[in-house]
Amino acid sequence: MSVIDSLKKDIHYIESLNSCMNCGVCTAICPAAEFYNYDPRIIADTVQRQDEESLEALLKSDTIWYCGECMSCKTRCPRGNTPGGIIMALRRASQEQGWFTESEKGRQQFALKRVLGTNILNYGYCITPDIVKPEMHPEQGLVWEWIYEHRDDVYERTHANYRHSGAGTLRKVDDDSLNELRQIFEVTGGSEFMEKIETYSLRKAEENGLDPESYFLQTYMANNGTHGEEKSNR
Amino acid sequence: MSVIIIGAGPAGCEAAYRLARSGESVELIEKEAEIGGNLNNWYQLFPDRKQAADLKAKLRKNIEHPQIHLHLKSKPVAFSRQGDGTIQLTLDDGALITGKALLVASGFRTFDAHRKEEYGYGIYENVITSVELENAFINHQINTSTGHAPKRIGLIHCVGSRDEKICRLYCSKLCCVTAVKQAIELREMLPEAEILCFYMDMRMFGPGYEEMYREAQEKYNIKFVRGRLSEASEDREKRLIIKVEDTLVGKPLKMTLDLMVLMVGMEPAEGNDQLISMLNLQTAPNGFIQVSDPHSGTNCTHQKGIFVTGCSSSPMNLTDTLTDARSAAVTISEYLNS
Amino acid sequence: MNLEGKQQIWKDYQKDIADDRYYYARSCIRQTFFPGSEWAYLDILGNKLGKTVFDDPRHTTCTGIGYHSDVVPVETIMTVVARHFALMTEAGFENITPSCITSFGIYTEILHTWEQHPEWEEKTRDFLWKATKREFKKPKNLAHTSDVIYKFRNEIAAQKKYSLTDVHTGQPLRVVDHIGCHYAKMFPSKGIGGAEFPAVLSGMVNAWGGESIDYPERRHCCGFGFRNYLVMANRGFSVANSKKKFESMQPYEPDFIVTNCPGCAMFLDKWQYTISEMEGTTYGPNGYGIPVLTYEEMAALVLGYDPWEIGLQMHQVSVDPLLEKMGISYDPEAKYKNIRGENIGRPQCPTYLKV
Repeated sequence: MSVIDSLKKDIHYIESLNSCMNCGVCTAICPAAEFYNYDPRIIADTVQRQDEESLEALLKSDTIWYCGECMSCKTRCPRGNTPGGIIMALRRASQEQGWFTESEKGRQQFALKRVLGTNILNYGYCITPDIVKPEMHPEQGLVWEWIYEHRDDVYERTHANYRHSGAGTLRKVDDDSLNELRQIFEVTGGSEFMEKIETYSLRKAEENGLDPESYFLQTYMANNGTHGEEKSNR
Repeated sequence: MSVIIIGAGPAGCEAAYRLARSGESVELIEKEAEIGGNLNNWYQLFPDRKQAADLKAKLRKNIEHPQIHLHLKSKPVAFSRQGDGTIQLTLDDGALITGKALLVASGFRTFDAHRKEEYGYGIYENVITSVELENAFINHQINTSTGHAPKRIGLIHCVGSRDEKICRLYCSKLCCVTAVKQAIELREMLPEAEILCFYMDMRMFGPGYEEMYREAQEKYNIKFVRGRLSEASEDREKRLIIKVEDTLVGKPLKMTLDLMVLMVGMEPAEGNDQLISMLNLQTAPNGFIQVSDPHSGTNCTHQKGIFVTGCSSSPMNLTDTLTDARSAAVTISEYLNS
Repeated sequence: MNLEGKQQIWKDYQKDIADDRYYYARSCIRQTFFPGSEWAYLDILGNKLGKTVFDDPRHTTCTGIGYHSDVVPVETIMTVVARHFALMTEAGFENITPSCITSFGIYTEILHTWEQHPEWEEKTRDFLWKATKREFKKPKNLAHTSDVIYKFRNEIAAQKKYSLTDVHTGQPLRVVDHIGCHYAKMFPSKGIGGAEFPAVLSGMVNAWGGESIDYPERRHCCGFGFRNYLVMANRGFSVANSKKKFESMQPYEPDFIVTNCPGCAMFLDKWQYTISEMEGTTYGPNGYGIPVLTYEEMAALVLGYDPWEIGLQMHQVSVDPLLEKMGISYDPEAKYKNIRGENIGRPQCPTYLKV
């Protein structure tokens, strides 16, 4: 199936792209456009041109991974488009095809899959205190270091039900609920999708002669420092 | 038996005059206390910079015709037809007017700029509309809210036009050329100011328009940035901070303005929907009155004996409005003689 | 700035918020970084306002951070959300109130998609049945928890122990708000006040004696950007966006920042530390930062809750100067103690940022 045909089946694409008149209101307020060499208007325009070669190049590039999905673009577009939603469709297609491993920012999906996938399926939360390790999160600051070290005490003081069953903040999600969550991932294709990310990524790791753990750290930490630089616009 | 015309703006006045000259008697109904409609808010006209007041004076003189009966401060409130098709219109003062034909020349109103919330009209002090700028020209006074001459002025195109978010999908046609005209007028008053137009497409379709655009660039040093305004905010000095993309460079642009002018588009006139329902007409997709055919029936509606002219059927510039009014007069004459 | 102009916009965007019996959907980020806020919310609703809120132990993440990091497909998150609707239905509730802005945006988006494409709702019902044998009714009312506090802002004002005023000068505190992007930018009609001039937080600030201050970059994203923070290599994006906001608000000398999004609250608090370590810059007076409060913390302070019980010691930017300003009586010595009053050490001091 061509890229454009697969996009046209994606609910995000269907909901996000009518037609673009290149007015630039999205780019004007896009947090990513200001920080990276990134232009959501050009994303919408490239996609509406439906040129397979350009689309393939886009799916293999860093470009589609800059957006922060804040969806500020949706508020403004005078044609009712959502460039951030187009990005969600492009990212899915890139991962389905395995093309995300062709770019530095795309390869980061491995780190995200490992971290979030593990949290969601093992703990029932996207984020839990245990995984916000101060050495991986220096920006969290010195208070967080103190909290992390004394987390049982600090959470108890603030009425949390940390690590315990029952209701309340930070409760342990019970096994039945976790099993239902995992079952939902199985039935809806969520597990299969994550498995694809894992498989393509490990293939790339092998190509580069890296063990999975080193590859994980590389995808989590590598930044070639060129993402804000001028490239050709298309 | 007369021809009834609703609206004594440029279209209504011009049609009344042409019909009267060809021997028809005209009942001209205007809701305001004076004729002229939106023309009363204009200072100079494009492309030749004639005074709007002069054109209005000419229209007024024309309708001082013995065959034209002007009803000021009057609104139609009821409509009926007699067995022979004669049209009966009741006015809000109780008067009953009959006619063989009815011409709708109710015109347009300018877009309510409050609705583009992200531009802050009515909230930020130095955001004005193109209509308010015309009024400032009439008074020969351009100042910011803090009483200073603006050093940098931005004219924002397409406010209330080509925008799904406010359900106005169409182009209002006259804003691009108005922006160019106003930019030149601003330059004449403020030789030192930086003046920028933020546009998506320059739709300079009329005679002399493209030439005026070129002159604005070459002679008046007006800058044109291709990008639609995304949002404005106000800083502590009451200046506007605007965000657009310079789409020809492909980079977001953040800039401070002392004065921001919103080029407001055209909407159907106030009371348009009630009029359509009273006269049993059809609404066009853009909300204006539907004409019977876009080529051969531009002055005809779906009701026999009811005609339409000027901005009642779609946005038009003044030149086209006057031409369309003469076309309506011919169409009605033909109808009355057939 | 013309207040009447804003008030007109606020009038145009009112939304229905149920007045009792809420099913509570917890937030992964809020409970991790602001556990006291979630507790305070439930305590205020239950014990101060006499409302029924169901805190369901079977509720899980909505997987929203995974979804917006593009590792969780839309079919999956729809079914996870459908399970929450099923739990709500089974418990006899009809009103759902997520604490997380990302969740609120996702719930809103999913209900919208189902309306536009009913086949997606059918598909989700099938998935949920296959996976869990559960069925659901869609909520009658969806509101963010900040909407609920907004709704009861006057009732809270009637019970307030402290005002958002500087007790030394008698002047209202100057408060800047930051609204999470997914609150109203995707669906402006679902936010109180709309997307451009949201009133959900400024309404609370005004009701409790403070003064809401607008600033040019108010609408700008805090910079979370999901993958742009979660992946270490991308965090420059995140901090750069927060920095832009701090620089824009600093000239207005705000007494504190209030947010309705848990992620934003965390970033606006932590990035002030990071920026101070990177460049020596601080944004509050005399080397301090600008305190950042969640709206639950703001409500709880006004109602006289103990600052350490609601977790203000967990903030990197010190809130002590704000407590002093408000004239709140509290025990500074208890800040870093556990529930039994034992010392558990204290955080180290940053290089530049005063705490």
